[in-house]
Amino acid sequence: MVVIAVLCCSSVAYAHHSFALFDRSKLITLTGTVREWKWANPHTWLTVVVRKADGTDEEWALVGSSPNMMIRWGWNAADIQVGDKVMVDIHRARDGRPIGELHTVFLPNGKVEADPGGQSGEALAGGPTHLPSKPQGEPYK
Amino acid sequence: MKPTPVSLLRDDPALGLRGCVCALVALVLASLPHDARAAAVAKSKDELAKTWREIAALPDFWQGTWQSVSPIADDFPTPPDYTPSALQYIKSYKPVEDSPFANCKPLGLPFVMNIGGMPMKFFQSPGMIALYIESSGMTRFIHTDGRVHDALPNPTFLGESIGHWEGDTLVVDTTGFVPETLFQMGKLASKALKQGDPSPLSGVIFGPHGPHLRLVERMRLADFNTLEIQTTIYDDTVFKRPYSLPPRRFIRGIERRNEPQEWACTDNRDFFDPTTGKLEYNSKDKAQSR
Repeated sequence: MVVIAVLCCSSVAYAHHSFALFDRSKLITLTGTVREWKWANPHTWLTVVVRKADGTDEEWALVGSSPNMMIRWGWNAADIQVGDKVMVDIHRARDGRPIGELHTVFLPNGKVEADPGGQSGEALAGGPTHLPSKPQGEPYK
Repeated sequence: MKPTPVSLLRDDPALGLRGCVCALVALVLASLPHDARAAAVAKSKDELAKTWREIAALPDFWQGTWQSVSPIADDFPTPPDYTPSALQYIKSYKPVEDSPFANCKPLGLPFVMNIGGMPMKFFQSPGMIALYIESSGMTRFIHTDGRVHDALPNPTFLGESIGHWEGDTLVVDTTGFVPETLFQMGKLASKALKQGDPSPLSGVIFGPHGPHLRLVERMRLADFNTLEIQTTIYDDTVFKRPYSLPPRRFIRGIERRNEPQEWACTDNRDFFDPTTGKLEYNSKDKAQSR
């Protein structure tokens, strides 16, 4: 389902995004603590520290859409604070580096926000229509 | 030598019927002062009121904003008649692996109109239409005061735009570009593409445009909620004859969410490296030069 959605709608709106770097066919779910939340154009960046199964910490840098696009999909810069425990569905880099593309963020207060990147012009102008209630990706450990 | 707008209009078969009228208009206009240094005269209160009334009767491009619903890349359904040098360029062209605009450098025309993701908004004032393009944070200034192009426009990313109305169609004629504006000169055949490549830029041929690149855009409302912009490209270093692209479509948004926003581009962690043709990533150096 996710794959179909991504492929069908990717013709518009990845204005400044990288296209080949991330594997859009898969979602993984990170659980971690926010180290940085950069609300800036052309892209937002969410840095999350993930404690792995072996006890080590790993820093993930996640690129999101532009603040302009995210505002139109209900985001606010203040929604994410450093130190927040979050779950994040992402498309990770194909080359294995701990970087990824934001898909959906699940905040500690229960708020769910989807990244509008890759959506059609109609969806961008119209706002999000469906938000998942829980992470959809394969848990990253 | 730089061709005059009138001779170029006559070269375009789609505009041929209007050639005579345009020539007459151009003759009249040529007698008017159009030098940038010429003194402008302020309108009287009555003249201004009359101009605003005329503006009120124009097609409604003004309410809300316009969001692109066309693919980022232009399609070239009719094979362009390329010059030998353009053919040579295309033969050795390697498709970009990634977005060539993953940084804060302005795109300029023509490709700035293709980006979408964020809307654009028209503003009108006597003698000028402004078009704010959020995805670049830049505003096009389209002069509608009847001037003709400067003999030597100073080159810019958005060029020098002059507009006039032909019925309900706003015709915008633009020239005077810097060499580095992003220019799509064609599209690779689908068989040359990687199967299943989801990139909206797959197959795009970006390339250099000539110093006399000129665009004629025809902007019209297909219906209240749909704006169409059809662009014809004049560049004799690339196309032997002017190339008319299919119209691009935009939908109107009038909710608050659709209002225009500031675009300040300040964070360049990922960037396109033209030397490698790859998107590079640098999470540590936020002051990444472009």
